[in-house]
Amino acid sequence: MTELVLFLVVGGVAIVAAALMLLSENAVYSALWLIVNFACVALLYVMLDAPFLAMTQIAVYAGAIMVLFLFVIMLLGAERMVSQARQFRWLTPTVLLLAAAFLVLTSVAIIQGQIDLQGPSTRPPLLRVVHAATDAGPVDVYVNGELAAEGVRFGAATEFAAAPLGEATVALHAAGSPTPLLTSTFTLESDAAKTLNAYTVIAYGVGANATLALLPDDLETPERRTARVTVFNAFSRPIDLVDFGVENPTVQDERILIEGLAPGEAFTLPPVPENTDLRPYAFTEAGSLINVLFRLNNPELYRIVREQSQLMVVMEERIADGTATGSTRAFTALLDSRTAPRFGSPQGIGELLFTRYMLPLQMVAVLLLAAMIGVIVLTHKDDFTPRRRDVRRRVIKPLTRVLSAQIGHDVLQPEPTGGAPELPRETEQPEPVGD
Amino acid sequence: MSVQIEAYVILSAVLFILGAMGVLLRRNAILVFMSVELMLNAANLALVAFARQWNQMDGHIFVFFVMTVAAAEVAIGLALIVAIFRTKQSINLDELHQLEG
Repeated sequence: MTELVLFLVVGGVAIVAAALMLLSENAVYSALWLIVNFACVALLYVMLDAPFLAMTQIAVYAGAIMVLFLFVIMLLGAERMVSQARQFRWLTPTVLLLAAAFLVLTSVAIIQGQIDLQGPSTRPPLLRVVHAATDAGPVDVYVNGELAAEGVRFGAATEFAAAPLGEATVALHAAGSPTPLLTSTFTLESDAAKTLNAYTVIAYGVGANATLALLPDDLETPERRTARVTVFNAFSRPIDLVDFGVENPTVQDERILIEGLAPGEAFTLPPVPENTDLRPYAFTEAGSLINVLFRLNNPELYRIVREQSQLMVVMEERIADGTATGSTRAFTALLDSRTAPRFGSPQGIGELLFTRYMLPLQMVAVLLLAAMIGVIVLTHKDDFTPRRRDVRRRVIKPLTRVLSAQIGHDVLQPEPTGGAPELPRETEQPEPVGD
Repeated sequence: MSVQIEAYVILSAVLFILGAMGVLLRRNAILVFMSVELMLNAANLALVAFARQWNQMDGHIFVFFVMTVAAAEVAIGLALIVAIFRTKQSINLDELHQLEG
């Protein structure tokens, strides 16, 4: 409701300002009304989630372009123009009629055209697969029957890849094998409110109990200088995540961050500041602070990078211990993914400009350069280097005028070429040569 | 988003038409130029509105380019007006109907 009122007020002011710009007799007033109109449009940009463009609009249009306009108006003294009889008497009624017709036509087209209000996000959802299934060995990943990745090792993940909207069948084959080990069908939805819709499929479980789980990923940029850390439990038992404090891990300063995370569940930590070292964190068996399953000891591996979405998967790794089956232990993989910049942010615009629109950007730069040179050429009246003869004559003339004022009569004959014999030719006067 | 996209597009159409009327009706060359700027702005508003609607930032890039081209166009146009004013001592478009220097 507030937004509607704001839109009506700002839009109304924009239209009134544009109309007054048309009707003002004085060109300076017109320019000032146009600035009001530009400011209103900038406000509308803010309402449309384009803050960077709003600022650019103020700086470039209201700041630079309109100052240039006002400068030229004042320079030429063109505030008021003598109105004179038109050559075409029916111009005004014709223009009004055409404008009204155009307005009716566009309005009907816009309203009847039924712009799809749901705005289907044309960007397909992204999908990646994490291999956390114990005993499965390297796998090939097929999405909807097509090979997506080959030879994914245990603990590794595939890159995010575009997947079709709707049903997606993910199948994991043992590397090189035509028959699937695991297969499952998920529904990938597209949320129009989000810039990117990303999903992670995690294969987890031991041996024959392995299964696939779908985890919606949030790739929106988190708060400034923080990262989003999500923990997924691919272990066979419930786990806790405990922060044991920095230096001397004692039970006294422990903080339980996640409690009783069941297998196949995910939990997102509150925003973690950048460069946080996860060294004091450890995964323990649920309810037990003593039975530490895995300690995040490697600072290079478990370093939080800002503006990223990081997924930590706790999985069960098979190790050989001399017995026939071996035993299992916890293993943790931290998967980084770059977050998409917020809609309308300078970062997003910059990324698009320097990737997809690099060539147009270069062309626009060349255009600006050409315009700059063009302006210099257009406004420069004469050649760039005045001829030497002209320089001398202009220097001589004021000198003769000074002399004649002192003597009382002309010192120079009116012949144009000879110059004055009583003046030394070499006289250099610091007289500025120009118009 | 409580304001529908149609509202923005219709507002943009109204501003565009006002600009077009300015181009046709006013005889002052500088005012005609300002009206062209108004039309470019109206088109920009529609682009930003559709960018919001489709959740794609490409529209913002186009607006960025339009702004750049508008800046170049204004610089050249005003230089032309100054050059014409020097020779004709007028910027009334009705008097500038001969292509002579």
